[in-house]
Amino acid sequence: MSSSPVDASASDASSMPQKRFSNLRSVRWRIDLGVLPRSPPASIDDIRRVTADTRRRYANLRRRLLIDHHSPKNGKASPDLTVDNPLSQNPDSNWGRFFSYAELGKMIDQDLSRLYPEHSGYFHTPICQALLRRVLLLWCLQHPEYGYRQGMHELLAPLVYVLHFDLDHLTQVQKLYEDLFSDEFDKISFPEGDFLSSHRIRRVKNWESGIEIENNLHKVCNDHSLDELDPDTREMLLLSDSYGAEGELGVILSERFMEHDAYFMFENLMFGAQGVVSMASFFSPVAGSNSNLPPVIEASSALYYLLSIVDSSLHSHLVELEVEPQYFALRWLRVLFGREFCLDDLLVIWDELFYSSNSRYIDNDVEFNFEVLCSPRGAFIAALAVSMLLYVRSSLLATETATTCLQRLLSFPQNPDMKKLIEQAKSLQMLALESNILSSPCQTYSNKNQLTISRGYSLPSASALAKTSLNVIPDRYWEEQWRVLHKDEELRKQSNGHSSSSGIMKKILTKRLSFSRTNSEPFEGNNAHALSSVRRRLFGDSSEVIEVAEDHVKSECNESPVISDNLNVGKGFPEELADQRTSNCMVEETLLSGHNTLVVSTPTSPHDIGNDHENESEKSSITSNSFLGDNDEETISTEESCSQNKQDEESTNMEEPCCQNLDKQLAQDAEATSSGDVDSIPEQIAAPKDRKPFAGKFQWLWRFGRGSKEENQESKRSQNAGHIEKDSFDISHCDGTYTSCGINKRIEVGDKKVMDTIRNLGQSMLEHIQVIETVFQQDKSKFDSSDNLSNNILGGKGQGTAIAALKELRKISSLLREM
Amino acid sequence: MVLVLAIGDLHIPHRAPDLPAKFKSMLVPGKIQHILCTGNLCIKEVHDYLKSLSPDLHITRGEYDEDVRYPENKTLMIGQFKLGLCHGHQIVPWGDLDSLAMLQRQLDVDILVTGHTHQFKAYKHEGGVVINPGSATGAYSSITYDVNPSFVLMDIDGLRVVVYVYELIDGEVKVDKIDFKKTATTQSAH
Repeated sequence: MSSSPVDASASDASSMPQKRFSNLRSVRWRIDLGVLPRSPPASIDDIRRVTADTRRRYANLRRRLLIDHHSPKNGKASPDLTVDNPLSQNPDSNWGRFFSYAELGKMIDQDLSRLYPEHSGYFHTPICQALLRRVLLLWCLQHPEYGYRQGMHELLAPLVYVLHFDLDHLTQVQKLYEDLFSDEFDKISFPEGDFLSSHRIRRVKNWESGIEIENNLHKVCNDHSLDELDPDTREMLLLSDSYGAEGELGVILSERFMEHDAYFMFENLMFGAQGVVSMASFFSPVAGSNSNLPPVIEASSALYYLLSIVDSSLHSHLVELEVEPQYFALRWLRVLFGREFCLDDLLVIWDELFYSSNSRYIDNDVEFNFEVLCSPRGAFIAALAVSMLLYVRSSLLATETATTCLQRLLSFPQNPDMKKLIEQAKSLQMLALESNILSSPCQTYSNKNQLTISRGYSLPSASALAKTSLNVIPDRYWEEQWRVLHKDEELRKQSNGHSSSSGIMKKILTKRLSFSRTNSEPFEGNNAHALSSVRRRLFGDSSEVIEVAEDHVKSECNESPVISDNLNVGKGFPEELADQRTSNCMVEETLLSGHNTLVVSTPTSPHDIGNDHENESEKSSITSNSFLGDNDEETISTEESCSQNKQDEESTNMEEPCCQNLDKQLAQDAEATSSGDVDSIPEQIAAPKDRKPFAGKFQWLWRFGRGSKEENQESKRSQNAGHIEKDSFDISHCDGTYTSCGINKRIEVGDKKVMDTIRNLGQSMLEHIQVIETVFQQDKSKFDSSDNLSNNILGGKGQGTAIAALKELRKISSLLREM
Repeated sequence: MVLVLAIGDLHIPHRAPDLPAKFKSMLVPGKIQHILCTGNLCIKEVHDYLKSLSPDLHITRGEYDEDVRYPENKTLMIGQFKLGLCHGHQIVPWGDLDSLAMLQRQLDVDILVTGHTHQFKAYKHEGGVVINPGSATGAYSSITYDVNPSFVLMDIDGLRVVVYVYELIDGEVKVDKIDFKKTATTQSAH
């Protein structure tokens, strides 16, 4: 064994003076794992006594379990041969147990032969193999419910290595300070000879002068006294003194009792010493008590949860590739990263890991996300895993398939920067601990509805970003979104004016993107929610488009509250029509501050619709729906009200003088929507299957706003319209990842699925029409000073006829929809 | 901890249809390392069955065996012990200890396993052991009809061999145990 690691640990000791025994890893670990008393500072004698006790326990265990099948059971003189013969099928027989031990032993041997081939010089010696085998066998016999699983030997091996290493260190020190360690009494018969024995030295320690005098009497060189030694060596001396407390049995660094010590270190590691993280649970497929998942799966999801908080883009990338965390985390967690790092690095990691205490730090009645994160040690494990993921972040993001990604993960790079990894892990550990407790109001809010803890990592990053709560089950997802957005809206109202609207829109975009990508499940909430969800969806989509228009940057949605603010603006709509308008105005403001005038179009509509008040609000609700997808709870109620309004206003819509085409269009749409199906509104808005309709849809929405403007013809409206015009065309050029289908699906709760397909057909037709119309409008409005939208619309007879034709198509489609 | 099964004189299918069910339930693969079969199986199917119990199978030829390729005698070394195997119909008088001792000296084995008499016998004799596992199926012999199914399992552990005798008496399996220790001069059986 080289002494360089010793030096490293010694230097560490100097840098962290509070760590006791830091140069004696085995003692340090034994204290951390709970084998030896921690109560600082436990005296040497106490430590020795505890050590002796544990060793006695192990010896008893060994005697009990490794029975000789030849010897009669229970001391009976003549054992019952019908039971105790080798071929007996009787499970009680000694022979039966012998055979089951043999089977276990075979399994263990298989694994041991493949243990650490690069360190075979130590691990493959017969002594070491026999030691490992015995310890594992005894542990498995002691805990038959776990049996022997592959990987346990990898947990045990470093423990034994550390014990062995310290013994080497001890022998080196002993060579250095021979006289102090030696046990010879036959040198000189003087009483001074006794001073050489450590026992006497300890006793005489206080009489420094006496020792010095005595020592000077004889012996020339290599003469050390106890107080000359540095504290570490002194401690080592006391630890290994054969005459200290408990005699030989208490010698802490003892080769004879390596097996005993290893057994208890292993046992405490496996069972966590009444702590939270017990490695044994990682090996068992039995579901944990808190969640319905096996602990290792739960820990893997905790890992992903932490990752989603820290680095959502990597997280979403992994989720996208369908890389479940347990594919790689199983190996990482079960052997505590033993296979990812070389032995020396692993020892450093385990130093840190064991140093974190394993006790549960939160009360039992506090709700938490993950069992494994309830203790600092568990949090460190998760944090280290996450920091490992971050270490290979770039190469992971570059992978295209799950296979390559896993390949990258399962062959962690050699010689990583351990310091960096560990420091990052430490910082993430605190984060993990905090995020585990559900303390934020939003989290508890959502928790009230969700009693089960589900796999949070599978959720889109946006939801995780919105709040750190991961207690989301798909059917509650939209409720949580609403809550998130609602909260954010409040936040937003408090802080007015977002200069970083572009950033906001970016966030919205990414959030929406992630939403759309990951949530295609039909929403199964109330229909009432559909309206606001549509509203929000479209809002989000528009922002997406804006984003796309600017740059296709998909940034990390770290500022989701900001996003949610904007979204919440829309969310406020369904609550009150008036609110809608105001909120629309707010949205408008925020959006205008950037380049998001597109979205503004819908907000303006409520302002503009003066004549048909309700119609206006209805339309605005529709448009705002279209802009602000996502949330369910409010949509239906507002939708219904809107639809009612629409029915009333239908006729008035039709009678609008100016943009007849548009009016008719609106009317038709109103008809369609008011046909009684709440879903129709979103259908109108949502292009179920089409992607390109985004531009067209936006155009259509714009037209909504325009139509209403035509009724009122307010300057503001026109201004807005102008804005809208410009931007709409920009947007129409863009390829938005318009997820109308997402909206549609969300809204279609399940009642009207039969009609949906038909409606979808009509909707798609509508979309196509819109696109065509867009093209026309583009040409027209590009040359306009954007004063009067109606002029734009009606100008150009050629265009007018085209529009009329398209109108016909639209009618047909709406009819189809209604069917 | 080597388990050696000594079995023979099954006479399947001529004199007996099969092993007794209780014996069959006890003979499971995986536990036994060697099988010494004295002979008179008689057909290949029995050979295959025994082969399934343990890969290391040694058979000597009995007078009714259908496979003529089995040898007359066999010797092998297991642990510290030299074992010899012969069917026994060649040794006249059948089952006579002195004649068997002659064969034991001739083969120079510590443990001699023979059959043919369909009676279980175990002698220690002149520093060695002579074992007759009897008939595993209880097939009648030329000498007697009253045959109890029996076989022998030897547990060879260093210098000590423990002989377990399994007999089916009145439908129940009875087990008996005999200890032999191999030493240069002394023998201790208890």
